[in-house]
Amino acid sequence: MDEEEQTKLIDLLRELVVRLLSQNPQDTTNPNFQNSFRYALRILSSRLTPSIAPDAAAIAESIKRRLATQGNSSDALTFSDLFTKFSSKTGPGSVNNKWAVLYLLKIISDDRKSVKNVISSSNLLPNLGLNESELSNGSRVLNGKEDKKMSWRNNGVLLVNKDPENLRDVAFREYVNLVKEENEVSEEVLVRDVLYCCQGIDGKYAKFDATVDGYVLSDLVKVPRATRVMVRKLCELGWLFRKVKSYISESMDRFPAEDVGTVGQAFCAALQDELTEYYKLLAVLEAQAMNPIPLVSESANSGNYLSLRRLSVWFAEPMVKMRLMAVLVDKCKVLRGGAMAGAIHLHAQHGDQLVHEFMKRLLRRVCSPLFEMVRSWVLEGELEDIYAEFFVVGQPVKAESLWREGYRLHSGMLPSFISQSLAQRILRTGKSINFLRVCCDDRGWADAGMEAATAAGTTTRRGGLGYGETDALESLVIEAAKRIDKHLLDVIYNRYKFKEHCLAIKRYLLLGQGDFVQYLMDIVGPELSEPANTISSFKLAGLLETAIRSSNAQYDDPDILDRLRVKLMPHGTGDRGWDVFSLEYDARVPLDTLFTESVMARYLRIFNFLWKLRRVEHALIGAWKTMKPNCITSHSFTKLQHAVKLQLLSTLRRCQVLWNEMNHFVTNLQYYIMFEVLEVSWSHFSNEMEAAKDLDDLLAAHEKYLHSIFEKSLLGERSQSLYKSLFVLFDLILRFRSHADRLYEGIHELQARTMESSLSSRDKNKSSRQKNDKYTEPGSWLSDGRKAVTQRAGEFLRNMEQELDALAKEYTSLLEGFLAQLPVQQHVDLKFLLFRLDFTEFYSRLHPIV
Amino acid sequence: MPREIITLQVGQCGNQIGMEFWKQLCLEHGISKEGILEDFATQGGDRKDVFFYQADDQHYIPRALLIDLEPRVINGIQNSEYRNLYNHENIFVSDHGGGAGNNWASGYHQGKGVEEDIMDMIDREADGSDSLEGFVLCHSIAGGTGSGMGSYLLETLNDRYSKKLVQTYSVFPNQMETSDVVVQPYNSLLTLKRLTLNADCVVVLDNTALNRIAVERLHLQNPTFTQTNSLVSTVMSASTTTLRYPGYMNNDLVGLLASLIPTPRCHFLMTGYTPLTVERQANVIRKTTVLDVMRRLLQTKNIMVSSYARTKEASQAKYISILNIIQGEVDPTQVHESLQRIRERKLVNFIEWGPASIQVALSRKSPYVQTAHRVSGLMLASHTSIRHLFSKCLSQYEKLRKKQAFLDNYRKFPMFADNDLSEFDESRDIIESLVDEYKACESPDYIKWGMEDPEHILTGEGNATGTVDPKLAV
Repeated sequence: MDEEEQTKLIDLLRELVVRLLSQNPQDTTNPNFQNSFRYALRILSSRLTPSIAPDAAAIAESIKRRLATQGNSSDALTFSDLFTKFSSKTGPGSVNNKWAVLYLLKIISDDRKSVKNVISSSNLLPNLGLNESELSNGSRVLNGKEDKKMSWRNNGVLLVNKDPENLRDVAFREYVNLVKEENEVSEEVLVRDVLYCCQGIDGKYAKFDATVDGYVLSDLVKVPRATRVMVRKLCELGWLFRKVKSYISESMDRFPAEDVGTVGQAFCAALQDELTEYYKLLAVLEAQAMNPIPLVSESANSGNYLSLRRLSVWFAEPMVKMRLMAVLVDKCKVLRGGAMAGAIHLHAQHGDQLVHEFMKRLLRRVCSPLFEMVRSWVLEGELEDIYAEFFVVGQPVKAESLWREGYRLHSGMLPSFISQSLAQRILRTGKSINFLRVCCDDRGWADAGMEAATAAGTTTRRGGLGYGETDALESLVIEAAKRIDKHLLDVIYNRYKFKEHCLAIKRYLLLGQGDFVQYLMDIVGPELSEPANTISSFKLAGLLETAIRSSNAQYDDPDILDRLRVKLMPHGTGDRGWDVFSLEYDARVPLDTLFTESVMARYLRIFNFLWKLRRVEHALIGAWKTMKPNCITSHSFTKLQHAVKLQLLSTLRRCQVLWNEMNHFVTNLQYYIMFEVLEVSWSHFSNEMEAAKDLDDLLAAHEKYLHSIFEKSLLGERSQSLYKSLFVLFDLILRFRSHADRLYEGIHELQARTMESSLSSRDKNKSSRQKNDKYTEPGSWLSDGRKAVTQRAGEFLRNMEQELDALAKEYTSLLEGFLAQLPVQQHVDLKFLLFRLDFTEFYSRLHPIV
Repeated sequence: MPREIITLQVGQCGNQIGMEFWKQLCLEHGISKEGILEDFATQGGDRKDVFFYQADDQHYIPRALLIDLEPRVINGIQNSEYRNLYNHENIFVSDHGGGAGNNWASGYHQGKGVEEDIMDMIDREADGSDSLEGFVLCHSIAGGTGSGMGSYLLETLNDRYSKKLVQTYSVFPNQMETSDVVVQPYNSLLTLKRLTLNADCVVVLDNTALNRIAVERLHLQNPTFTQTNSLVSTVMSASTTTLRYPGYMNNDLVGLLASLIPTPRCHFLMTGYTPLTVERQANVIRKTTVLDVMRRLLQTKNIMVSSYARTKEASQAKYISILNIIQGEVDPTQVHESLQRIRERKLVNFIEWGPASIQVALSRKSPYVQTAHRVSGLMLASHTSIRHLFSKCLSQYEKLRKKQAFLDNYRKFPMFADNDLSEFDESRDIIESLVDEYKACESPDYIKWGMEDPEHILTGEGNATGTVDPKLAV
């Protein structure tokens, strides 16, 4: 070594020592520094050589192998690459002593690792750290240095020889001996036993005692009470472990059977993983248990490194986890699927960060099958739930009730981290897909699903979602629901023409297509007057066809017309065709989900009511036709006797005025039905139809529409009495029609007789105009005189007027009753009816009550 | 079974308004001047077969008979661009082409002479329909052909088709200006008798009022016949919308009329229409709501019949019935509100002897005719004030009759031969009794009316003048 190199070396060394001692570089007079510096110099000048042959290639090889075995094959490659470059460098400025550099690096790397261990266990191994002050003892330096090297090889436990006169050391040794004397069983044995117990295996002394349900030291073993308690406490971990372990193995055994479920499996797997971690810890502890605490004294009979007390520190964290697991295992023993996830979730709400993290990890595993189910249900409509763990439950039903009954929420399986509304949405989305698939035979939803997944930013892959991503789940569900529902409504509106069908029902079943209804009424009228049991529905179907063809209905969509059918209700004795006739509309899949049987039954009742109303109107119009302005009765009966004329006039007036009253009632009832009931309800319905976001909305809107018509048409429960009195009124009006017909028939006959008599006035053979005689004894009236005609006529008219008077009286009292009931009804809309009927306050003036 | 309606247009006026009516119908149904359905007329929902039938070549042909005793108007139609619309077999012009000389008796007599020809045509049309609902007669009551021949046709139809409805659109002469037809009061009276006895419904179109409306409402200085006729055709087409665009109610003529005419005698209807426009007139676009329309319809200035009533009488006049046909985009909930407003403000007086109300029919608007307003409305009403119009006719007749003026023209014809003027007297009595019945309708005791003293309503007996307004009797 030449002089120059020597000084450079010394400078470098000084620098190093200064840095290591983190000292002020100027303060070189510090004895510490001086000592250390000298010490370092001595090391360098010593003739110590490592036991390994100075072969650079061998060292490099060993480093490479080590990297490779540590799983860092890429690092190993990088290393060999670097090494090649390094060794190929020669010439001035390059490193001469390549082998030494490599060796140094290797040593440092080893050193680093052991230092890490030292730090992690430093709190457990007090007073064993490198203490600079201890190095001040110059006589021990060399020794210490050698020890240091040794200790590095001994996995980082740095041993420093101490002065044998050290009092602490002596005391410690004495204490250990004391303990040994007192205890029959040494602590290290107990530690081992505890470690065994914690793996669920009985130790030599600590065994599982079924009576106390825990691991205890057998009474035969003589140990202090405190130790016993300590062991008992430590062994709780074992007890917990047993519990968890047994649950896992039990579940594992049951796997092929149904009642574990994928969530259960996931739970077991997660627990298993936790246990694996635990095993690792135990393995480390066990290994450590073998290591004695290094003592300085040559007697070297120190206690083991792991004491019970240390163990208790080690066990603190696993204990918390294990307790949690045990609690969960307890909770979940009987639970499955969503319920299990929910139960676990309840424990996740914990302030302790450790617990929280742990639970989160666990839940992520546990929920993943559940979320996968949600995903495939929402995006594909598949119910992948062989173990019945999902909170959506399907059951096989007919297509028409698929929507209503096919799927439902199983609230027991609904984990609490999924809100009720989200669950509903999830249910509906999958249901929509299934509805589309089964009832609508539609494939377009798949695109909608894809789109939704893209929009939500989640892939449609499996396992894309996990616990803690409830927001992501929710946004996925919302996106999917939005698109699927929209698609479903599109299909319902456009492909299945829901609105058109509603309109068709309004036109045909609710009699909106006036011309059609009129023709139908005209042509089926005679048929329906027959007794119900003689009516052929085949013939009626033909007539329906005719009515369609001759009205504007003919321009309607043939598909719609095809669905319109005649339906004869079951009839009782004495029923007329009128009582049993009705129309029905065949909704077909998938619209029968909206137009269910009960819905159609209600439409049927509305139809029957409206049809009856129409029939009454028809009858009144028919009556008007017989008494229309230019008919013969309006002409003067010049040849009639004064009194008879008066009678005729008064009877006719009676009839007309009564007709007017009845017609007013019926027309205004019709107007009410049209404006206040049908049209208003329809316009509300159309608006809601526009606004509907999903099929449930649509169903609700339709239900509301139907309900509104039903209630306002007096068909509801609450207006039963009103409805009944209305029908009594209707029957009275129909009776009036036959009276009016009879009256006009009589008058026509009278007219004919008078004409005749005036034509053959010289001929004194005048006729009786009694109607019955006309058919039975055609000749009889010829024999009567003109006087008799007059007399008969007068009598007939008087009778008719009396009958009409009676009818009018009955009508008035019935109507009064009906009107009196209107204001006390609960629905507001009936006030509109009263308003219309009593527009000129005719009735309220007539009966100024209330 | 489309409930067909056959239109008879008789005389000069009848053919003119009939022509306008068909023009309007063609427009609304998207039928070209040749009778071919336009390409754009694809929106269904309308019923063309009530007023039209389809020939083998898909031409739509009006169920109309064009009848006149002089060829001028009909020739005009035949030379117009609509010449191919009508069935040529349905056109009747008398051989001599001399007209009726504004003489009711001549028209009536000639009608009798050609009865067979015309009835053949009517029968043919009637046979061509599945379920004939009735006839609509367009005519004026003042001239010769429309009034005289129209009267004869009314009697014949009443006799032969007694079960069918007969509705007329009768144009009453303008009584504000001196007419070139001096015998107009005679003609009117004689026609009114037939309208009373032989028609089911008479829609009164008062030329006086039509002129007034044209001047006041449409601001036309000197309204032409074409302009007033377009008002008529608007009313006619509007009053048939519910028949042509079927809805929940009022889908046939009888249903429409029955509620309007509760007492058979009082079958004269007034009309009102709003908002009014005349072709090619740039109209101010008004805000039209249902309430606006219904309120305006109740204003006398919009009603197409003049009211000759004095204030006191006018205040007693009552509506027997009202039907408002509202066309356009209407929210059905507005109807109830409007009715409520009208009742609150007591805008309308109804009869007291029975229940009554404003009926409202909502009808579609033709998609092919663009209008500036959202909503339009037609009112058909039976109102007792119409009796003043008849009283006016009566008083004009009385004036002429007192002077025995122009009666010779009538004596030439068989009905009045041998100076038998009983037809005049009878007609007068019937109109008087009609006036009385309308007056009676204004009282709450209508039901008992005529029972104590029935003479004056039964023709041929009793002293009719006893109850007539003294002013009118003079």
